Amino acid sequence: MAEEKVLGRNFPRVDAADKVSGRSQYAGDVYLTGMLMCKILKSTRSHARILSIDTSKAERLPGVRAVITGQDIPDVHFGSGAVKDRRVFALEKVRYVGEPLAAVAAVDEMTALEALDLIHVEYEDLPAVADPIEALKPAAPLVHEDLPRYEGYAAGMGGNVCTILDSARGDVDKAFAQADHVFEDTFRSQGINQGYLEPMACVANIDPSGRISVWTSTQGPYQVRAALAAVLRMPMARIRIIPMELGGGFGAKLRLCLEPYPVFLSLKTGRPVKLIATREEVFTLSGFRLPTIIYLKTGVMQDGTIVAREAISIFDMGAYLGAGVQSGVSHTIGPYNIPNHRVRSYAVYTNKIWAGSYRASGVADVTFAVESHTDIIARKLGLDAWEFRMQNALKEGDMAIQGGRIPRNGLRQTLEAVKERMGWPRKSAAGHGVGLALCQWRSGSGPSTASISIQEDGTVSLLTGSVDITGTDTVLAQIAAEALGVDMDQVVIARRDTDLAPFTGPSGGSRITYSQGKAVQMAAEDAKRKLIALAAEHLQVLPAALACAGGRVYVADNTERGYALGQVARLSLTSKAGPILGTASLSAMPFAPVFNTQAVEVKVDQDTGMVRIVRFVQAQDVGVAINPMAVEGQIEGGAVQGIGRALSEEVVIRDGRILNPSLTTYLMPLAPEIPAIENVLVEVPTEEGPFGARAVAEPPGFGPPAAIANAIEDAVGVRIKELPLSADKILRALHGEPLPEVELELALLRELRGAGGPIQWAGSG
Amino acid sequence: MESRIMKHSVRLTINGEPYELLVEPYCSLLDMLRDQLHLTGTKKGCDEGDCGACTVVLQGKAVTSCMVLALDARDREVVTVEGLARGDRLHPIQDAFVRYGGVQCGYCTPGLIMAALGLLLENPHPTEEDVRFGIGGNLCRCTGYAKVVQAILKAAEAMPAAAS
Repeated sequence: MAEEKVLGRNFPRVDAADKVSGRSQYAGDVYLTGMLMCKILKSTRSHARILSIDTSKAERLPGVRAVITGQDIPDVHFGSGAVKDRRVFALEKVRYVGEPLAAVAAVDEMTALEALDLIHVEYEDLPAVADPIEALKPAAPLVHEDLPRYEGYAAGMGGNVCTILDSARGDVDKAFAQADHVFEDTFRSQGINQGYLEPMACVANIDPSGRISVWTSTQGPYQVRAALAAVLRMPMARIRIIPMELGGGFGAKLRLCLEPYPVFLSLKTGRPVKLIATREEVFTLSGFRLPTIIYLKTGVMQDGTIVAREAISIFDMGAYLGAGVQSGVSHTIGPYNIPNHRVRSYAVYTNKIWAGSYRASGVADVTFAVESHTDIIARKLGLDAWEFRMQNALKEGDMAIQGGRIPRNGLRQTLEAVKERMGWPRKSAAGHGVGLALCQWRSGSGPSTASISIQEDGTVSLLTGSVDITGTDTVLAQIAAEALGVDMDQVVIARRDTDLAPFTGPSGGSRITYSQGKAVQMAAEDAKRKLIALAAEHLQVLPAALACAGGRVYVADNTERGYALGQVARLSLTSKAGPILGTASLSAMPFAPVFNTQAVEVKVDQDTGMVRIVRFVQAQDVGVAINPMAVEGQIEGGAVQGIGRALSEEVVIRDGRILNPSLTTYLMPLAPEIPAIENVLVEVPTEEGPFGARAVAEPPGFGPPAAIANAIEDAVGVRIKELPLSADKILRALHGEPLPEVELELALLRELRGAGGPIQWAGSG
Repeated sequence: MESRIMKHSVRLTINGEPYELLVEPYCSLLDMLRDQLHLTGTKKGCDEGDCGACTVVLQGKAVTSCMVLALDARDREVVTVEGLARGDRLHPIQDAFVRYGGVQCGYCTPGLIMAALGLLLENPHPTEEDVRFGIGGNLCRCTGYAKVVQAILKAAEAMPAAAS
């Protein structure tokens, strides 16, 4: 076995030098000769019939080359999830402020903007529904009257409910009746924008051969290709998606975004067309997380054992099906072993932009609820918050909520590490407090492919279709180098597009290192087997006698006899099997949970209600840290996103209108507000992951809101159950003023409670 | 296709090179750099002065180039991220960002590097707090700032007192 010399090392990102030099090409950096600029006309109403759209004046403006509406393109429904409820342009009616009505291609952006002002739309306003609770009531206006006719519609949907998911086990009612204590809490979380620095951008062009090329900012080039083929009614092979360097996406760019508009305009004008979203359009043209309401009821025995959990989650889905509803069944138990449960999750249509994906959509909301509720229970029972979690936390062998057993994992080690590093329990100074949160996720699965060829000089070419968002190109190259026994600088990962590399799933759901990485490891091992087989033939030994390390294939107990990899590659050109090519393809990986424990120390200013984070400690089980620096970078970034969600971020929407579509008023954390993040990487290897690695990137964002809410209660004795944990809420609570009612109406609750049904596990998102 | 807006001439120095360009009166320094000169290293994140992705160094001070009119940069010296490396030798700030994990998606990176340059020109030996405030006008969504701050502190150690 070759000595590991690539694994565990902090290689800088392979793309870092280009990024610091300004050489990296993002979609907005593409300039083609004769390029036109595209702008989109957006609905100003949240719910209205479209009586007419008059584009004639806009078409006549000098510099305008084309104007299109829904009448000019095929009428195709598509969707981000199971239900195909959307179209490229609104047709009979608009369902949210911002919905695209028309698009213009002009010689420059200024002219395109002028043209938008010349398009005249006649609306007939319809009653709109902005609140998901109102949308659930029988008399609510319907966002989608045709819901039962949509492809993907399933029984149980109706009115404004587009998804209901259930999970149940054991006998919850009996368990509640027998429990020593029963606790009920309701929590609300806010609208959150993904906040990627690079606004959506794409350039479309038609090749002389008639093929469509699209340079775009995307996490999922194959998903975009498939969706474009559907809306264009064209074969996929006519479309090439070139994923450019991605300036952040966090889920917003997993699927079809704005690509159709420049594509249709390019088809119409015969010229390249570019579309760059403004920062305002990052809020108004692309979906983001919408508010949720989560009700939890828990039965606990006197000794602290949790015996029953009931949950009802209401996800505001906006006008079209987006992401997050399944976290209401997958995560409302939390990382705890609870033998009886009944949980139900609703996705509800309202007249707002749809609920887009964001770094394990919904799980942060649910974790805020569960980990706040856990602390409330511990406090009321007089139990230590850490001990209560440790007592009930999942163990290897416990049943997992989606079926199957929990495999080996480092959950307990993360709890212990945080206890030691932060110091628990703590007697804090006045106004200071410490709070905990324990979170879980899973390592992403999904179709993944890789191919590896060994060049005649021994360098290794790795071809794999994944978009690099978290530094995975570097990690994938490390995996290949480790498996083949070569130095890191011998591996080159190809720049690729959908023509060049075979299908792979999108970069999201924490799947690239675990799944794509596994495919790379398998492809490398396939190449290694072939190298060894050919070398064995030439050396006239059995393959089992050979080792592959240090860039050579050699006889293990007579190391002088062997070949450099390049020599074997040259020999392969005339061999029976042909040039060395290692390939691998997989569609699913086994369940591999990821656990993260966080502890936050805060100081609450009792005159202003402002919260300062004094210390932030986290421990995460990463399986095996292939590149510790990259892993830390991911969990630090995720934690700070969580801090933003906890304290300052909120998309404020009134009557379907976004009031703060700007970075001036949507407040993401800045450097002076954040302390140094203290990380502990726990390593309990997975059975099947590449060299034992687990997924990394999503869990750190889940914990901060509850950890901070728990720390605030520890510090100043007030419990805030609605995000963000803003200064005004804390101040009002400190003054004993009543906070806005967050409890679900009892009547509605009775109506929403229902018998458990079969589990429907939606795709990741 | 003739523009209906009259353009004005502006002369300035960018990365040590003299330029004379024609711009509309409303054209920002950012748009001039990107659209006319294809110096696309400087990024547009918000076009409203909030995110810092467009930071360049103008007359020795870090500024958000989306908030500077191109015409207001006449006769001035501008340094962009493309002007830092010497051939294939990275500037110490760039090198530190690479080495210490300060780069993830990279979109905020040029702006952060120029903000760091502006900071180190004024304060060659910053504390961690100085660095955090020095980049307080730059949003990063990927890194949580932790390794960015470390990289800038390391860069400060590596740079001579009279930073260039």
